[in-house]
Amino acid sequence: MTFSTLSLYILTLILLILLAPALTGFIKALKMYWLFKRPVSIWQGYRDFNKLISKESVVSQEASAMTTIAPYLVLSPLLLILFFLPPVTQGAFYLNVVDAFTITGLISLSAFFLMLLGMDQGSAFGGMGASREAFISALVEPAMILNIFAISLMAQNIGISSAAIHLAHHLPEEHLASFLFAGISFFILLIAENGRIPVDNPETHLELTMVHEAMTLDLTGWKLALIEMASSIKFMIFASLFVTLFLPFGYDLPVALAFLIFLLKLLAVAITVAWIEVNTAKLRLFKVPNLLGVAIVLAFLSLITFYVT
Amino acid sequence: MTPFFQLDTLSLLFVALIVLGSVPNLFYTAGYLPHIQRKTHFLVHYFAFIGAMIGVVTANTPMAFLFSWEVMSLASWQLILTEGKNRQEGLTTRKAARFYFFMTHFGFVFLLLFFLIASQSNLDLPFSEMALSIQAFPYAWLLFLFLALGLFSKAGVVPLHVWLPYAHPAAPSPVSALMSGVMLKVALYALFRFLFETLHPWPLAWGVTVLLLGSFSALVGVLYALTERDIKALLANSSIENIGIILMAFGMGMIFDTLSLPHLSSFAFIAALFHIFNHMSFKSLLFMGAGNILHQTHTKNMELFGGLIKSMPITAWTFLIAALSISALPPSNGFISEWMLFQSMMASQAFTDITLKLALPFAMFSLAMTSGLAIATFVKAFGITFLGLNRSENAAHAKEVNVLMMSGLLLMTGVLIGLMLWAPAFLKLLDGVVYSLNGQRIAADLVPTSFSIHAYNPGAVISPFWLLIGLIALTSLLVWVKSQLKLQTRRSHTWACGNRVQAVNQYTAAGFAAPLRRYFQSLYQAEERIESQAQSVHIEDPLPDDAPHFKKGQHHLIIHPLFERSLYHGTVQLLKRISFWIYHWTHYEKFRYTYFILVLLILVLLGYRLGVTD
Repeated sequence: MTFSTLSLYILTLILLILLAPALTGFIKALKMYWLFKRPVSIWQGYRDFNKLISKESVVSQEASAMTTIAPYLVLSPLLLILFFLPPVTQGAFYLNVVDAFTITGLISLSAFFLMLLGMDQGSAFGGMGASREAFISALVEPAMILNIFAISLMAQNIGISSAAIHLAHHLPEEHLASFLFAGISFFILLIAENGRIPVDNPETHLELTMVHEAMTLDLTGWKLALIEMASSIKFMIFASLFVTLFLPFGYDLPVALAFLIFLLKLLAVAITVAWIEVNTAKLRLFKVPNLLGVAIVLAFLSLITFYVT
Repeated sequence: MTPFFQLDTLSLLFVALIVLGSVPNLFYTAGYLPHIQRKTHFLVHYFAFIGAMIGVVTANTPMAFLFSWEVMSLASWQLILTEGKNRQEGLTTRKAARFYFFMTHFGFVFLLLFFLIASQSNLDLPFSEMALSIQAFPYAWLLFLFLALGLFSKAGVVPLHVWLPYAHPAAPSPVSALMSGVMLKVALYALFRFLFETLHPWPLAWGVTVLLLGSFSALVGVLYALTERDIKALLANSSIENIGIILMAFGMGMIFDTLSLPHLSSFAFIAALFHIFNHMSFKSLLFMGAGNILHQTHTKNMELFGGLIKSMPITAWTFLIAALSISALPPSNGFISEWMLFQSMMASQAFTDITLKLALPFAMFSLAMTSGLAIATFVKAFGITFLGLNRSENAAHAKEVNVLMMSGLLLMTGVLIGLMLWAPAFLKLLDGVVYSLNGQRIAADLVPTSFSIHAYNPGAVISPFWLLIGLIALTSLLVWVKSQLKLQTRRSHTWACGNRVQAVNQYTAAGFAAPLRRYFQSLYQAEERIESQAQSVHIEDPLPDDAPHFKKGQHHLIIHPLFERSLYHGTVQLLKRISFWIYHWTHYEKFRYTYFILVLLILVLLGYRLGVTD
């Protein structure tokens, strides 16, 4: 661990945190552009954040201490994951002290407190959002675990960083089908976990359709800022995991170029998500398990093709 | 003369489990005692129960084991009946106790058969000499079957689990905590003891059977826990789930042992033992918390709770810690044992048998599904019970319970947090126990430093201590940032679409589980009925003007559990039908009756003849 490797690590960390609202903002702007609306600025996320952290916050009288502490516990596990994400470029320092299971566990921890937060204010919406979130995340979990298993077989390592580095150096050419299945499955999980169309619509405030928004309906100010930040960071985590594990190229290039390629890959993920959002309708809640079932089946297929070939 | 009772490493570990489980429970019981009517009856059986459990885990001969086992069963049976003389709940309690009595003796018969064969009818033979006499018996699988039926009916493994969701809610809360937290583990102790000492080289099929039963139990347990509205029945169902998880780890250990992968086998057995301790800590805590609520609100129905976090803060926060741990969320101790189980399943890539290799992802799927559903279950259990508004008058009058009961809860929380923070040291201890069983030490690989735990898959490492520090540091950073911002806070009502915020508008426990209940409808066979009363009632009894004008209605939801419906009820129906048929066939004619007796006699003689020649 020298100064330069450490500074690269910290640079990546800061970049990921700072760019998180821009990435989700970019998706929003692109969607509006494709829908022939006048797109919002991609910096809108920062403006919203600035507004939220400077205004008075209104707390529900019906809420308990849970509303005070839960937003922190929604955000801090996700912030902790950022420290363990794979390195973007060669020579960057990385922490190899947790493995992929712990990362999914931390994501679940964040979701757990988000659901409790939704149920705290005694509103019908919060309970509804929590119930739906519980339904979706219970079905996401198996796909996630099987996906981890599959990718760790191909990367011969379960630590996320080591796995990404291994994949960057040895693309699993003999298991390309398996790799592809795992990639598609992970992409479905990316959509489902981040509440994008077709699983959930991040823009709607209609009670028939909303999942994530319903849980945060009674939050304002600082608390809402924390939750908004958590959701954009969660997208960043999934996107950067996707690009470092399933698009493993550009790692060995010079530092500046590697960063550039990493950002371009993130943009590509964002464009794909926006494209899917524009071209599909939101699924009915009871159709969502079918989509997640596809992810589970693909993860199984990935494991089976790995073993039999 | 061999001693009846003897302490070795495994016994000592389980004595430690019983002590850790009962000391906080003693405090809790001391606080709970004023609310028990038959105090002497309760106390005699309570101490007999704890003593008998210690007797079971230290027994050295079949006689001592069976005696302690029976005392344990009978004492717990009487403890379930403590409230049996109450007028209102007495009937269900007596029914639950009868069910438990039957199931536990069903198991006892098979245990007795196991011992009679294993020790060649000499019930004073010490366990260490039983392995020799077993080698003379040609059908080892029969012994395994008897042992499994005997122990799994006690441990609550599917399909012998049906008594749990009845017996645990019926018992007084400290007793449910003991039964669920400790007694179920005593049955698993016997599994460790007899499989290792008397049946040791196992065929592969046994390990696979245990793994299958475990994964099945885990899924079935958590699925029924999810839809349960009785909070203690929810916890009882979740015990079935956790016993399933322990058995999965145990089955993995057996499979690895058969395939001569001793390191991995030790790893899986350590995971099983660790989960036994974890489940003891969080399940006792949850049952005690549920007991506090029951004590204050006089109901077990979750639909009548709500908002208890404000009036019962200590109960609520300890319940939350236990809920985090049982949902296997990092960095809790429950997460560590489940992590170890995932790791040992991932190590299946070392298998050469392709069928087994392809089967393991399915076991992993069921474990992952279980942990996903467990999160949903405990969000429901905590959220509906403690958050939101009071849903009934009972909940509105709840207060924090007395100091003794509280100290029981806090002590158990201490045990739980200790298991989390000192997990590496504790795993080292468990390694010593597993070493005494299979002679394979893996402490150097498992816990090379005192802060992290390693698995055999490359890159698999976890450090609960540092994760906790990281979470605390980041949270404090955010809190500090907030304090620098100097924001103003105003309190106002929750937005309820312009209406007054009312408790009836909140999501109910049944509503919370509705999406999953609908998705797994074939398993639940839920009978749903909505009775909405006619508009005229509404006019006769007008609501106050500011209240939203809803029609009064009632939602009935009855769930028919699959196994009770098919296996148990089915068996009863079949037996009834056969006996009815025999009765009809023989009753009216003497000749048919004699004929029937003759056939039976011949069958018995033939069976005896076959048995002897074998």
